[in-house]
Amino acid sequence: MAEARPHRRADRPATLAIDRLRIEIAMQRGVARVVDDVTLEVWPGEVVGVIGESGSGKTMTALSVLGLMPRPARIAAGDIHLQGQVITRLPDAERRKLRGDRVAFIPQDALRALNPVLRVDRQVGEPLNIHRGTPWEKAKQRAVELLGAVHLPHPAERAREYPHQFSGGMQQRAMIAMGLALEPELLIADEPTTALDVTVQAQVLKLLREIRDTHGTAILFITHDLGVIAELCDWVYVMYAGAVLEQGPVERLFGQPAHPYTQMLLRATPTVRTVQAELLSIPGQIPQPFDLPAGCRFADRCPQRFDRCAREPPHIQVESEHTARCWLLEGEPVRLPHESGIDAMRPSTRSG
Amino acid sequence: MLRLIAIRLAVFVPTLFAASLVLFVAINVVPGSAAKAALGIDATPQAIARFEAQHGLDRPLHVQYFEWLGKALSGDFGKSFQNHVPVGPEVLKRLPVTLELALLAFLIANLIAIPLGALAAFYHQRKMDTGITFLATVLGAIPNFWLATLLILVFSLTLRWLPAGGYAPLIDRPIVNLKQMIMPAVSLGVVSSALLLRIMRTAMIEVLTSDYIRTAFAKGATRGIVIWRHAIRNALIPYLTVGAVEFGFLFGGVVIIEDIFLLPGIGSLVLVGIINRDYPVLLAAALVVTVVVLAANMLVDIVASLLDPRQVHAKAAA
Amino acid sequence: MSAALTPATASVRHHGVNWRRWRLLAIGGTLVGIVIVCALFAEVIAPYSPYDLDVAVMLQGPSAMHWLGTDEIGRDVLSRAILAARISVQVALVAVGVGLVGGTIIGIVAAYFGGWIDLALMRLMELLFSFPAILLAVILLASLGTSILNAMLAIGIIFIPGFSRLARVATNDVLRQHYVDAARTVGMGDGRILLREILPNVVTPLLVEAAVAFAYAVLLESALSFLGLGAQPPEPSWGNMLNTGRGFMAQAPWLGIVPGMAMFLCVLGFNLLGDGLRDAFDPHLRE
Repeated sequence: MAEARPHRRADRPATLAIDRLRIEIAMQRGVARVVDDVTLEVWPGEVVGVIGESGSGKTMTALSVLGLMPRPARIAAGDIHLQGQVITRLPDAERRKLRGDRVAFIPQDALRALNPVLRVDRQVGEPLNIHRGTPWEKAKQRAVELLGAVHLPHPAERAREYPHQFSGGMQQRAMIAMGLALEPELLIADEPTTALDVTVQAQVLKLLREIRDTHGTAILFITHDLGVIAELCDWVYVMYAGAVLEQGPVERLFGQPAHPYTQMLLRATPTVRTVQAELLSIPGQIPQPFDLPAGCRFADRCPQRFDRCAREPPHIQVESEHTARCWLLEGEPVRLPHESGIDAMRPSTRSG
Repeated sequence: MLRLIAIRLAVFVPTLFAASLVLFVAINVVPGSAAKAALGIDATPQAIARFEAQHGLDRPLHVQYFEWLGKALSGDFGKSFQNHVPVGPEVLKRLPVTLELALLAFLIANLIAIPLGALAAFYHQRKMDTGITFLATVLGAIPNFWLATLLILVFSLTLRWLPAGGYAPLIDRPIVNLKQMIMPAVSLGVVSSALLLRIMRTAMIEVLTSDYIRTAFAKGATRGIVIWRHAIRNALIPYLTVGAVEFGFLFGGVVIIEDIFLLPGIGSLVLVGIINRDYPVLLAAALVVTVVVLAANMLVDIVASLLDPRQVHAKAAA
Repeated sequence: MSAALTPATASVRHHGVNWRRWRLLAIGGTLVGIVIVCALFAEVIAPYSPYDLDVAVMLQGPSAMHWLGTDEIGRDVLSRAILAARISVQVALVAVGVGLVGGTIIGIVAAYFGGWIDLALMRLMELLFSFPAILLAVILLASLGTSILNAMLAIGIIFIPGFSRLARVATNDVLRQHYVDAARTVGMGDGRILLREILPNVVTPLLVEAAVAFAYAVLLESALSFLGLGAQPPEPSWGNMLNTGRGFMAQAPWLGIVPGMAMFLCVLGFNLLGDGLRDAFDPHLRE
């Protein structure tokens, strides 16, 4: 299976290409490098998962694509390309035109992400009004259609309601409908299922797959839930302390994880559960963004560290486009046995 | 929604009674004061006793209170000690003046506070925020009666654009009326706007850090759309709720302002009452001012609740 | 990682001193200092006696002889304004004192006894608080009689609800801590230790409230004097100076401008002091 990335196309650029991105925040204590030399791609029709603990820089990376980083953060180096167009230093007036139109954002907590004083149809139809100048009557009608497309029951009645009158799953569907309003090329989903219960989560994932299949949308899916990655994603990036430690096709990553960190992640999650709690039990400290070590950033917690780890490893090829930043790969790749294969990860196979 | 209003009303009424009790007690806290006030400090004890018997002031306080209250509820506020004219009709005649002044001042205060507060919040921790906040502090320190004096100096005495006092009813001569009302309303409104500005700023800052604001930006909304369509309406809810008290205080300022601008309203009636030591007048005027204040408080609070769909529409079954 | 707007504390540093935090305090403190100096040393500072009248020089504008001009019976405005600070400070002091003592007692009683006493007292305080201050002051003066002393009392009563709230919260904190720690420690001595720990936390909000109350007291006293219900002539108060000055605005505008400016600067000073104290000691603003 030493193929290139399946969704990679020769005839067109990647939908999203992040190239050696570095994001810094100037604070009292010093400069925090929250995203360090991250390279990441999402191809049309591909679902890319980004997994990492809190503070790994995954959300900041996503926000930088939208141009919605909090004010003190700035892009110190690198570029972001949308369909080949460089958007890194685009003035905000131009960036604004991309948001909601070519790139859509689906956040974690749908209830808090919806405006409590506006009706749902107004909010879902708003992108049409903003970007296409669609008059409100038509925009609201379109909103009802969109809500139907995301399988919201009784969309016409529901659309006239307020967000607090929806259930959690319905709210997230509304957010997705909002994101799809202008058929974006790229959908960025930041932990959209974390706040939902398992059955609803499965429905939302199914919906996202449907969207990908119908529209060929590229999806960047940020999560700390391995099960969701296994279920939905084609390609995975593993982030830690601001850097990508490993990236590759989802089957390979789960079947033959190359980086010790990925291995520990998988070992810590024998069943479909989120990774957060177990990760806290890995001994050692996540390096602070102010104080990044000169060598491999995972060395402090890595059971397999050795003398070469004093220098930060580059991405080393494991196989085809599967790479990881670990000196252990120069030479025999280390394989750790583990009980569960990727199939045990997928919630759909478990629940039948 | 009706439940909302009903609850507020249910609280309002007893508060009103309690307030009337406080006023009554406050005025009568010193025995014999009413008589001495009407007759003079060196009135003889016999004169005092006769006066009190005449006006029923020698009865126990609670009896007096209930009688006064009962009459007041039916519109009879007694007769002035001074000229024995019934107080009720006078109060009624003066009420529209005060209401117009209060409403205009309220309008001016909000016209200043809401946009500036929103602006300061949007540019939080940058120069515009610091500047606006400092402006609010300075404005809030200005005594409203000094501002009134200065306005008269500039606009009446120097520029001769506006009259320094007097009152023509709005219905009869609207332009003159507005010319007479503008300076009093500005005096009252500008100083109150300072505190309201801070309240709006705080409310707005809170709103602007909400997730739904980020969603609005993520949809490609411009700054204007974010502020005016998404943020302000949310900020208005806590603004009105917290600001309701300040609106009450704003109306209290009518006592001085009406005096300065010779407006025949309830506020100046309070002063007439105290200067003439005319207790029935004073009580009646004070009570009406209090009613207006408490009612304004309640109304603003109700509007705040109505702006919040979470309080108006019950959560539907999932 | 939350993507909420991070509060970036961009405080300017000048040689290690955090100017932004202490700036308000400095300006406020200076203004208040000036007022207090005027109040204490009026006789020494004032160029003339505030009572000396000389009809020959009445209604003269600011000049080298009289920096702020003369009033309608020839008194030096500057000297009167300086002495008027004393009245304002005196009234504010007594009023804040009355409010503090009264409010503290009520607050402590309410918190200590709890139950319906707490409810009744706090409802009463809320009610008093919802009255416009001027109105309440006027009513009280109607029955007590109009004099400076009664003005002090009336304004003090108006402040009681505000201070009672603070005292009640503080007492509740102490009591709660006491019960929690009483389970762990032995002996009454700890109660006093706790008070010594609680007190620093209480002092700051108390000082802030007191500074703001001072400002409001000055404002109220001036308003009452303005209406003729406070300080009586020939005693100079900024309020009654403004009131008489009002009548002469056409020919002698400085008579109206000066006392008002003094009021404004005094109130501003105390407000800035209060704000400055709050910012200087607010734990949230600590980096």
